[in-house]
Amino acid sequence: MTVEPSTAPVARPRPARRAPTDLPFRFADRGLAEALATERAEPDWLRAERIAAFEAFERLPIEPNQLYTTYLDLRNAELATARPYVRTATAPNAIASTKLPEGVAGLIDLREDGVAGLVLEPAAVAAGVILETFGAALARDPDGLRTELEGGAGLPDDDKLAALARGFWSQGVRLHIPAGVRLERPIVMRWSVGVADRALIGRTRISVGDGAEVSIVEELGPSGVIPADAGQALLASTLEVTIGRDARLEIASLQELPPNAIALQYRHAEIGEGATLRWALAQLGSRLVRSRVDNRLAGDRSSVEQVEIVFGGEDQLFDLTSYTRHVGRDTTGNLLSKGALMDKARSFMKGMIVIERSAIGTDSFLGEFGMNLSKHTRSVAIPSLEIDQPDCRRAAHSSSVGPIDEAQLFYLESRGIPPDEARKFIVLGFLEPVVARVPLADARDRLRQRLEEKWDAGTGAGVTAAA
Amino acid sequence: MTATREIVTDKRDQFAFHDDIAYLRETKRGLTRATVEEISAFKEEPDWMLQYRLRAYEHFLKRPIPTWTDGLDKINFDNIVYYRKPSEREEKSWDDVPDQIKATFEKLGIPEAERKFLAGVGAQYDSEVVYHSVKEELSKLGVVFMGTDQALKEYPDIFRKYFGTVVPAEDNKFSALNAAVWSGGSFVYVPKGIEVPLPLQAYFRINGENTGQFERTLIVVDEGAKVHYIEGCTAPIYATESLHVAVVEVVALPRSKVRYTTIQNWSNDVYNLVTKRAHAYENSTVEWIDANTGSRKTVKFPAIYLRGEGATADIISVAVAGKGQHQDTGAKAVHLAPNTRSRIVSKSVSKDGGRASYRGHLKVSPGATNVVASVRCDALMLDDISRSDTYPYIDIQEDDTSMTHEATVGKVSAEQVFYLMSRGLTENEATNLIVQGFLEVFTKELPMEYAIEFNRLVKLEMEGSLG
Repeated sequence: MTVEPSTAPVARPRPARRAPTDLPFRFADRGLAEALATERAEPDWLRAERIAAFEAFERLPIEPNQLYTTYLDLRNAELATARPYVRTATAPNAIASTKLPEGVAGLIDLREDGVAGLVLEPAAVAAGVILETFGAALARDPDGLRTELEGGAGLPDDDKLAALARGFWSQGVRLHIPAGVRLERPIVMRWSVGVADRALIGRTRISVGDGAEVSIVEELGPSGVIPADAGQALLASTLEVTIGRDARLEIASLQELPPNAIALQYRHAEIGEGATLRWALAQLGSRLVRSRVDNRLAGDRSSVEQVEIVFGGEDQLFDLTSYTRHVGRDTTGNLLSKGALMDKARSFMKGMIVIERSAIGTDSFLGEFGMNLSKHTRSVAIPSLEIDQPDCRRAAHSSSVGPIDEAQLFYLESRGIPPDEARKFIVLGFLEPVVARVPLADARDRLRQRLEEKWDAGTGAGVTAAA
Repeated sequence: MTATREIVTDKRDQFAFHDDIAYLRETKRGLTRATVEEISAFKEEPDWMLQYRLRAYEHFLKRPIPTWTDGLDKINFDNIVYYRKPSEREEKSWDDVPDQIKATFEKLGIPEAERKFLAGVGAQYDSEVVYHSVKEELSKLGVVFMGTDQALKEYPDIFRKYFGTVVPAEDNKFSALNAAVWSGGSFVYVPKGIEVPLPLQAYFRINGENTGQFERTLIVVDEGAKVHYIEGCTAPIYATESLHVAVVEVVALPRSKVRYTTIQNWSNDVYNLVTKRAHAYENSTVEWIDANTGSRKTVKFPAIYLRGEGATADIISVAVAGKGQHQDTGAKAVHLAPNTRSRIVSKSVSKDGGRASYRGHLKVSPGATNVVASVRCDALMLDDISRSDTYPYIDIQEDDTSMTHEATVGKVSAEQVFYLMSRGLTENEATNLIVQGFLEVFTKELPMEYAIEFNRLVKLEMEGSLG
């Protein structure tokens, strides 16, 4: 390949000395792990837990999977001086004054410096639902928390960023839905970052008892008004989920972090017999997102449905990995990722479906679809399969990348819709599958509005000109 | 009954033989700088080639063993003879070929094949081309078909112009190894506007325990010319590892058409690590038709770099992985120019604990507008101790690419087997027929004699599991 002469001016100077896989921050050391434990007066086992995690963090490569090592670029992150707060408010300061938004069963609101709010509707409290911080859990149910956390339970031992959260979390959230409890309205978990040079490192543990049903809306957004030239901020978080027999869990995540935010996300779900998990993940904000979702279909007849959309603009980078492991019999996995990219946005959709020998009767589908709306975008799809059991109902994947469909455009134009509007409809329609699955009407409307705003602000005009 | 049994009889003995050849010259076991110098001196090569080999050798030492596929670390490079010369000079006619070697080829059926339709034969016996004949009419047309070593002497200008330009020595560890110690292989040059009416064929085989084969093939097809090149190979069966590290370079100049067909049936102790790549210029067409049934481990991804506007790439890759085998095969299409098209079809069968992996790379570079690309990979697993993987890499950096990718994995359908058995076939025959049907996309592209041979090979492979 020839090297193109660099006629265009370089848009933004990069810290050139860093390799694409070098971590952009330096705060994660033994001292910080110790300081966090000391500040919180944590019991010995928890301190040991943090130290063990720090040691794993030191040891592990940023990308453990050989398949993906060349598709990793953290250079957009500039967090050399970032640090998390050691001292944070671990209990909400004004629970009583926090009001529940309409249509919501519970709310926990976290920022870099503490818990801004925590409310649970009385009916849920009466039913035995628990929504608390790790700090509160440590006082109320230390043995229960220990069982859930010790030895890195709920987190993989090969993931550096999971080890980061395990060792250095400053905020922890615990949600427990007892067996048989069905919450009609969703619980909202809100994480806000954006203060320059601040890191928020959090863990969330969710356990859904046998036969229980609940939906969760995760809102990731800015903590206040972030100046346009603010230095970068970091959100590193986990979502560790166990779902009991015949339980149902819906999780919708709306990632609208400010443009100075770097997001490192790790999510893991252990799905029990006959249980169902539905993910609806929308990635809009942030400068760089590196996310990994692990679904483990452990129980017979368990199922997971995961829909993820990316709507990228400017020089955003989305590095999204999804692993689904079929272990039980007659399990179902339905995974769909869609990305629409504008400007210089890049997306890496790395999916892996593993069908173990025990997973007879698996039905598994993985789809990764991209729409490049500008000539400077890049969309990478790696939909992989590793199959040890051929006796399945379906094991397939499919992927496509294409421009806006001319036939669809023509159809809409023939109905009197102006070309610009028609393009917008087609792109937003392409992303609609996730929007439709957000269980909260307000959040749904807001997501639609954000997508539209992003289209208008982004290269909506540029796309028109190019096409 | 005897007639129907016939088709699943193990005939592998016919292809597994070892003659005691008196090797006239060979290098010492292992690879040092002196080995490389010695090979070059044996061949009385020009200095530039010696320097090229030495540079490649240095690079080979520097590159680590790839770890993205497993088992390559088991190769003992010190226990391999890197050069063996079975006869003193290249033979021009069949009559001059030593009897002992002739007898070997007799078993492979070469003379018969030649009588039928051979346009020319370059038969590689160990590390040197020993038999070579080009039909007079082809010579008259100006078509050059000879051993690569001979071509270096007789056509130094065209050789030097293209050698190493498609697969640089530094491309990967094994291309560096080949560049350092290469020996034998075919050289083809088709002049402007010439259509070679019959396929050019090179039969070659590994003979000699622990003999490495490092053949190097260079095919240059000038503007508007057309050629079909076929290689097929069988090898004796030995207990210790053999190593086959080949490089194939194809240059398809504007408006030319090249088809390269391979049937790979190395014995199950051979590591077959091949770098095959073509450069396709304006409006040319390159086709790799590639089947892998033998070897202990094959790592081979025939690649086409679409460098000229309007070029077309077509890759059909077939793999059968039986006991102890890993076929790590696939295809690569790299679109570097506008209005280029590619199609990749992959079919794999795994059985008896074998592992078939499809690894593909589809890339659309910036500037390659209006690309149409499709990938289709299907895998058939005949039992639940085998494994099938799919690792497609799709990287799109343009906004008007039309790319689709589909993959499925499944087993032989019980309904189909039942139907065929109701028509009087045994279960073996029914399964065999279904597998052959599954692979037909490949078989139908072969000349008839090869199609018959390939179906026979598949039957042999099937024998183990079904007999």
